[in-house]
Amino acid sequence: MKTATASRKGENGPNGRGARPLWGMIQAALCAAVLLFPLLASGQQSRPSEYQVKAAYLFNFSRFVSWPATGAGDSGGSFAICVIGRDPFGPVLDATLAGENIGGKKVIARRVALAEQATGCRVLFISASEESRLREILAALDKSSVLTVSDIAHFAERGGMIQFVLQGDRVRFEVNLASAAEARLTLSSDLLKVAVMVRKAAPSGE
Amino acid sequence: MPAAKPTSLSGKLTRLSVLVTATGLLLACAAFVTYDFVSIRRALVRNLSVQAHLLGSSSVAALVFNDRVSAENTLAALRAAPNVVAACVYSAEGKPFAAYRRDPASSVPGRVELPTGDEEKQWFDRGDVMLVGRIVFQGHPTGFIFIESDLQAFWAGMRRYLAISLCVLVGALLVAVGLSTQIRHEILRPIEALADVARALTEDRNYSVRAAGEGAAAEMAILVGAFNDMLEQIEQRDRALREARDDLERRVQLRTAELEAANKELEAFSYSVSHDLRAPLRSIDGFSLALLQDHGERLDAEARSYFERIRAATRRMGLLIEDMLNLARVSRAEMRRERVNLSAVAHAILADLRKTEHSRAVDCRIEENVEAEGDAQLLRVAMDNLLGNAWKYTSKHASARIEFGQMRANGSRVFYVKDDGAGFDLAYAGKLFGVFQRLHGMSEFPGTGVGLATVQRIVHRHGGRIWAEAEVEKGATFYFTV
Repeated sequence: MKTATASRKGENGPNGRGARPLWGMIQAALCAAVLLFPLLASGQQSRPSEYQVKAAYLFNFSRFVSWPATGAGDSGGSFAICVIGRDPFGPVLDATLAGENIGGKKVIARRVALAEQATGCRVLFISASEESRLREILAALDKSSVLTVSDIAHFAERGGMIQFVLQGDRVRFEVNLASAAEARLTLSSDLLKVAVMVRKAAPSGE
Repeated sequence: MPAAKPTSLSGKLTRLSVLVTATGLLLACAAFVTYDFVSIRRALVRNLSVQAHLLGSSSVAALVFNDRVSAENTLAALRAAPNVVAACVYSAEGKPFAAYRRDPASSVPGRVELPTGDEEKQWFDRGDVMLVGRIVFQGHPTGFIFIESDLQAFWAGMRRYLAISLCVLVGALLVAVGLSTQIRHEILRPIEALADVARALTEDRNYSVRAAGEGAAAEMAILVGAFNDMLEQIEQRDRALREARDDLERRVQLRTAELEAANKELEAFSYSVSHDLRAPLRSIDGFSLALLQDHGERLDAEARSYFERIRAATRRMGLLIEDMLNLARVSRAEMRRERVNLSAVAHAILADLRKTEHSRAVDCRIEENVEAEGDAQLLRVAMDNLLGNAWKYTSKHASARIEFGQMRANGSRVFYVKDDGAGFDLAYAGKLFGVFQRLHGMSEFPGTGVGLATVQRIVHRHGGRIWAEAEVEKGATFYFTV
């Protein structure tokens, strides 16, 4: 999105008419293009990094999941995608979600420290740093209709809903359908179709 | 087509019905096939579009989560659609993501794009129909789908339609010909019957035939009725004419018989009168002579001259009676037809006349070997009268010429007797051949006025004609045919 806007500005500039204001705009556009160029170049030409892909997937999961009508996440007019624990995305997540909408709600990124703070989120990414506190976090979110995503090993087995797995350098995911159903979340069959594995049994008590 | 034989109504009707049916059916078939061509093609494209949409939406998750295998599995479902040659899912940038090929020869475009705002684009290429559609997921352009389908199903459909149309065309034509034969038969039977009757009429002139008109259409029934009425009228008129003619013939025969009877009666009467008149006449003559001879010396000269005049009148009356009897004989005598040499007859008559008056200088010119067909005695009587007249009416001239010969006029043979004697005024020609009709005084030329009447009767009995040309003091010519 940004790419297109930037390049369009750069193209449109010389075609404009007028004296001083126009020249100023051209200068500004040129400056913006020069400033943005390294970022654009890295985004377009090299393969996206693992967390760029994961950030995009976080957003894309949201598009294949339906939340119950009176979910806890309805507070406020925005659609929150939260990260708990040490944030592996950095600015990438914010950049990915910028300007996106789901169901007419603006998608925003939030960082939370405690599981209780995450009940207002639609999606919660549980950082690997939280592996030791996973059971508590999941318990705190019980029945609050939050889609839990993580790259912690065996996350799906341990009651999480979507777990990233790496196949070579490709990011893929496993789904625990029972956990999602408990939280009254409906996952699209299209999503299940592209999942590496879909678990349907109730989470095994560890 | 040679104009040797006029085409029959039947042939024309058959051709007409076949032509009308064939034209109608061809037009209808052409319309149907054209309609089907357009609609089947449109349906084909619509189906392809639906297929592309389904494939596109099934491939969204695979595209979003970069799962090529899942997308390829989705596309592999196209094996069930044998018309699809190739299909490919493209990323939002237009790069191939997952492809399906029906056979190794199939290919997909290396890159696709659609103008902003267009959702779909179709085109026909290499006999196939191609379609590129945009995959949109929740308002986001997510990728493209390309699908190529061959038109074999379309052409198979068209072939089937053409075959059905052809079958319908042939079937309908056969039915039309069959029906038209039936109808034609109904229409034509009375016309053909009428034509047969008309032909029989012109060939045989038999007006008693009638045309059969049962089972005909109203117009035909009128025609046949009028035709039969006409025949009826012709026949009635024929009958009336024949009756009138027969009646006329009967009446003519009746009149002729009556006339013949009257004529015979008249002839018999005149013959018997003439015959019976002779006896008293002989008594008058005989007793007049006896009176003169026995008592002549006792009578004076005046009385004797009276007696002489009585006797002269008596002789004249005897001549008249003789001529009358001759005329009656000429009318009654039996006819025997034979070849008669008129030249010889003329020579003999003129020789006799010369003997009676050998002092006269008469130049006689007789054409030799003139022959006629007729009764020898009657023709001799006729020639005798004609030549005798010529001799008599030239007697006042010092020198005379009498001619006999033949000539041709209006294709028939005409005989003539010509003299250069006293002649007569043609104004009186009508009286010429009447009995006792004379154009000259008794004192001028003696005669009874029966001669030419006799000649005319003889000529008529031979079925001929007689006429004359003359000029006073220049001579007369009598022509006759037999």
